[in-house]
Amino acid sequence: MHTLDDHAKDISEDAADEAGPDLSLEMNLKEQDTGAGGTIILFFILGLFASLVVGWIIFPKLLYSNKKQPIDFNHVFHVEEVDNGCESCHFFRADGTFSGAPKLAQCIDCHEEIQGISPDEIKFVEEYVSKEREVPWLIYSRQPDCVFFSHAAHIKGAQMDCVTCHGHMGESESLKVYEENRITGYSRDIWGKSIGGFKKNTWDRMKMDDCAECHRENAANIEITDIPTPTQRLIDHIVNLVPPGTSTFGKGGSVQTERDPCFACHK
Amino acid sequence: MKIGRRGFLSFVIGGAAGTALSPLPWKMMDDSSIWTQMWPWTPVPEDGEASYVNSVCTLCSGHCGITVRKIDNRAVKIEGMKGHPVNNGGMCLLGLSGLQLLYGPMRVKTPLKRTGKRGQGQWKKISWNDAVSEVVEKLRDIRSEGNPQTVGFISGSDRGTVSRLFDRFLTAYGSPNFMRMPSVRDSYELTQYLMQGVQALPGFDFENADFIVSFGSGIIDGWGSPVRMSRVHSAWQSADVKVIQIEPRLSNTAAKSDKWIPINPGTEAALAMGLAHVIVKESLYDAAFVKNYVEGFFDWKNRVIDKYNPDTVASITGIDRGTIVVLARGFANASKPLAVCGRGNGTTPVSLDECMAVNALNALVGNINKKGGVWAVSEPNYINWPEIEMDAKAAAGLQHERLDGAGSKTYPFTRYLLPRLPETIDSGEKFPLQALFVSGANPLYTHPDTRAVRNAFDKIPLVVSFSSYMDETAQNADLILPNHVYLERYEDVPTPAGMIQPVIGLSRPVVAPQFDTRHVGDVVIQMAKGLGGSVAKTFPWDSYDSCLKETLGDLWNFLMEEGFWSNTGAMPPFFGTSYETASGKFELINKDTGSIPQFKPVSIEGDEKDYPLLLIPYDSIRLACGFIGDPPFVMKTVEDSVLKGKDVFVELNPKTARNQGLREGQRVVLTTPKGKAEVKVHLFEGIMPGLVALPRGLGHTAWDEYLAGKGINFNALIGPVEDPDSGLDAAWGIRAKLEKA
Amino acid sequence: MKEGRTHKKFQKFGMVIDLDKCTGCGSCMVACMAENNVPFRKDESNKLLSITWMRVYKLTNGMPFPKIDVCYLPRPCMQCEGQHEGHSPCVSVCPAIATDYSMESGIVSQIYTRCFGCRYCMASCPYHARYFNWWDPIWPDGMEKYLSPNVSPRMRGVVEKCSFCFHRYQLAKDRAFMEGRPELQEDEYQTACTQACPAGAITFGDLNNPKHTVSKMAEPDPKHSGRPKNPNAFRLLERLGTNPKVYYLSSREWVRRAGDNYLKNEKKVKKPVHHG
Repeated sequence: MHTLDDHAKDISEDAADEAGPDLSLEMNLKEQDTGAGGTIILFFILGLFASLVVGWIIFPKLLYSNKKQPIDFNHVFHVEEVDNGCESCHFFRADGTFSGAPKLAQCIDCHEEIQGISPDEIKFVEEYVSKEREVPWLIYSRQPDCVFFSHAAHIKGAQMDCVTCHGHMGESESLKVYEENRITGYSRDIWGKSIGGFKKNTWDRMKMDDCAECHRENAANIEITDIPTPTQRLIDHIVNLVPPGTSTFGKGGSVQTERDPCFACHK
Repeated sequence: MKIGRRGFLSFVIGGAAGTALSPLPWKMMDDSSIWTQMWPWTPVPEDGEASYVNSVCTLCSGHCGITVRKIDNRAVKIEGMKGHPVNNGGMCLLGLSGLQLLYGPMRVKTPLKRTGKRGQGQWKKISWNDAVSEVVEKLRDIRSEGNPQTVGFISGSDRGTVSRLFDRFLTAYGSPNFMRMPSVRDSYELTQYLMQGVQALPGFDFENADFIVSFGSGIIDGWGSPVRMSRVHSAWQSADVKVIQIEPRLSNTAAKSDKWIPINPGTEAALAMGLAHVIVKESLYDAAFVKNYVEGFFDWKNRVIDKYNPDTVASITGIDRGTIVVLARGFANASKPLAVCGRGNGTTPVSLDECMAVNALNALVGNINKKGGVWAVSEPNYINWPEIEMDAKAAAGLQHERLDGAGSKTYPFTRYLLPRLPETIDSGEKFPLQALFVSGANPLYTHPDTRAVRNAFDKIPLVVSFSSYMDETAQNADLILPNHVYLERYEDVPTPAGMIQPVIGLSRPVVAPQFDTRHVGDVVIQMAKGLGGSVAKTFPWDSYDSCLKETLGDLWNFLMEEGFWSNTGAMPPFFGTSYETASGKFELINKDTGSIPQFKPVSIEGDEKDYPLLLIPYDSIRLACGFIGDPPFVMKTVEDSVLKGKDVFVELNPKTARNQGLREGQRVVLTTPKGKAEVKVHLFEGIMPGLVALPRGLGHTAWDEYLAGKGINFNALIGPVEDPDSGLDAAWGIRAKLEKA
Repeated sequence: MKEGRTHKKFQKFGMVIDLDKCTGCGSCMVACMAENNVPFRKDESNKLLSITWMRVYKLTNGMPFPKIDVCYLPRPCMQCEGQHEGHSPCVSVCPAIATDYSMESGIVSQIYTRCFGCRYCMASCPYHARYFNWWDPIWPDGMEKYLSPNVSPRMRGVVEKCSFCFHRYQLAKDRAFMEGRPELQEDEYQTACTQACPAGAITFGDLNNPKHTVSKMAEPDPKHSGRPKNPNAFRLLERLGTNPKVYYLSSREWVRRAGDNYLKNEKKVKKPVHHG
């Protein structure tokens, strides 16, 4: 036993010897830190701060280019003039498709001649109406080509309001600046004004997740009485050895996503 | 403060942490993925208001009703018109690709004048006024020299106002040389004229027949009005109608028939006579009909009994005796039998013998002008124009015989003999042709012996093409005056090929003209006005549209509303009194010409010793072989056993291939007396030994890069064979040989 | 596993193709290309690369002259359901959730922007119904005018396939919403190929709706994953268990036999089992 103890001692001494230089380095660092530690933290904070400024403030300014609409438009004024609210100009066609931004044909009834003194109206009549050119409106809510969106399903089917997605557009007196994403070419309104992607209102963003959020909760076609909680679902999946994509528990009819099927909104 | 290494690192780490906490990387990732998913060069079709325009497709003589879907001003899809008597919503693949012809690269976009040598493809754009006045100058010169007969016109059709305007123009100008593109209609017209004494369209009441004997007619391979034939074919499947297909190759029609009887090519008339023999000998014919309404039966009967007993016919046709007898009995005992001829898609005539023999079969079972039979359909005559004013020059010009020999002493009753034209021009036996107009036709591609046709065309000083597309004929013309395509113009559309009920359709502009083209009807009216005098007076209309409106009268409004007019309750002319022959009956023997249903072998070009094989063409609905070539979509449907890369496959029976020492996919040289070409071998059990089959519709040298330069043109390897009775081109094949390349 | 689904009866769109009527004309192929903005190239003779959502195959009975027989077989996407809901070969392998099985319509969707082109689905599809875009789609100058806004053109590097013209369903639904109708009529949603077929060989409708013609023609047996009760009906590669929604009818034994792989000593096509 004795011999063993001695041997153990030897080893620990050896270890102490070996650790010696390291320990002294540590000591040195500690000494230096008292002077330079603050600088390093400062630099860290500087870097953090600078990148946060770049990411949150400068980046959006660089990402989006500001574009002006060809002419300004007063929604408030026009809504007052018409009988049928938004649908007076943004109407449904008989086949259920949605007309979107009005064409000259809809404006021409009133605007064949200049009506008032607004310089935008004068420009509209002179540049577009009399030359029979369509106004190249910049559409804030323009979605990529892969998106299928049926206004009829939402407005006529689900009885939703325009405001839910488009916000209080009809209460605007002039058109806001169109911020075009330099990379994708789509409007900033899709991602939302908040560069962080946060939203307060349903109409703040128009990304797929925002559609999906609603479609997860209100999947129209299936009535399910007893929906397991997500946690319960996960446990069930694991317990039953069901790989994702092979069983449906969610509200929707999609096998892959447990929401509405992909073709509900994609073409 | 000094920035040390550590400070810098610390700054970077801080920066990284801050960046991670900022939206930058996540937003950039999202945006760049959107960018990569929506490449800016992938087109995004613009949305708009959908609308539908009803019109008529005129890409073939099937004349289906179409409904074109439009998004704002763009035509985006052609669909079949529901409720149309021809197609009722169905549509063939060529018709479905029509928008590729409207917006496609094969279009001639403005009038063009040749600058280089003919066929070199060097053009300069000229204005419509210059182009028309150039033509008018030339025509005026020819006329003032007293040679108006030296102007010719080749048209895809001779019915409807546009074709009639061409004819009218030539007549007023003083030329008899209006020529229609050949088809099996030529044979049927002549047959009906000789046997029934009427000038009418052949109509087939397939819908009510219950036993079909088809002598090589590609019933579902493009024959007649293709979509109607498909519908009929489906109805046959449900109603258990027997269909017997007689041809040397297993076409789609043969594969879908109840029985395919391979026959030695060119001996169809012999089989028809053999069937007649059995029917007559066993007294299976409709005795009442024959007794009351058929003239010359007993003379003919004796000939038939004498010459066409089943053993003789079996040795000619290669079909065994038993099959012939069973077929004859089946045909004669059916309640509504119908025999039909016209090989492939029916764009080539057959010999008069064959057509008369088949018609005689129908007469034997009494189904001429009867439900389920063959009708002589007379079209509603809505074109009633004022008399043509003819001055002395025109009258003198019209005294000349036609260049193609139609209506001459040799071929008194044949109306058009276009395939004879190249030979006549070459031989110089009549007058030279000084100017030739071509519309709705592409003779430099579709005519047999394309090289000879080209040589003949080279001798014509002025060739004017009205083609909307850069086809072979347009490419070799001196002037191209491009017509609107059918989706850009008004035109009346006459009864579809083979229909029993008359239909008048109105083809109308679906979209505005896409290029600087002009309606050919307008151009003809302008040419007439430019010539002045009596020619101008013959064309009292301002424009083609006003001419059409005036011609159609009340019908115009109806057609604008409904899209088509059709006499659904059309009844056949009563079969007892509908013959305008000398005897007032159906004549089995025409006393004037001595024409009689019989079998004489149609000669075939080439020596059996040098050319051990027989080359025959085959038609596929996936290969357009008329004046329209395959658009890109249709080319996609062509199987890789027909075309691979630029190589076309010839079909060979494996037995033939073994004898020739050839195998699947081998590259070989196909030689005929008319030419040679490199092809590949495809072994197919569905073709008789000793034959080589080549699809028609490939080997274009013009058109667009999706079609041109692929495969070979069958017409470059075959020449016309003149039928001695009618003058029509009765060639059904040519001798050939295959050698390893 | 508890499942509390008391849902409405789903639709299950399917197709019955009568091979006795099919003439092999190719109209369905072109109707599909024109409807769905399918691109084309100068040489389309390499059929492995040629994108044809609907492709007509030529079958022969392999007999010598003159006993040879030919039959055409149009092949859209089979929209396989698999042995349990939505376990189609392609959907279950997609790593990108780019293809999906819809319980509501029974249609297998393909989301092009989601697809990253691994082609796993192509490998798993036993019907070769999926195609890869090896090239950017290029339309000759001016020809892009005929492109339909209802179907998005595909970019290079993604897989595409037949969608049973689902956009036509969407358009029909739009009209129905407008007219305040909850359900579509049978003829309101028809695929482009069905509509164009000159021979009327294709029938399309809801296999779960006994009133629809497709159900009456194919007589799918729900107890045996939709296997047809009609003795003339068959599905391609039935024994793989893909449970496809495209049924074929043929009166010819050899054609029905050509629909699956059989061992040499296997004599007859197994007769569909009749129940009740």
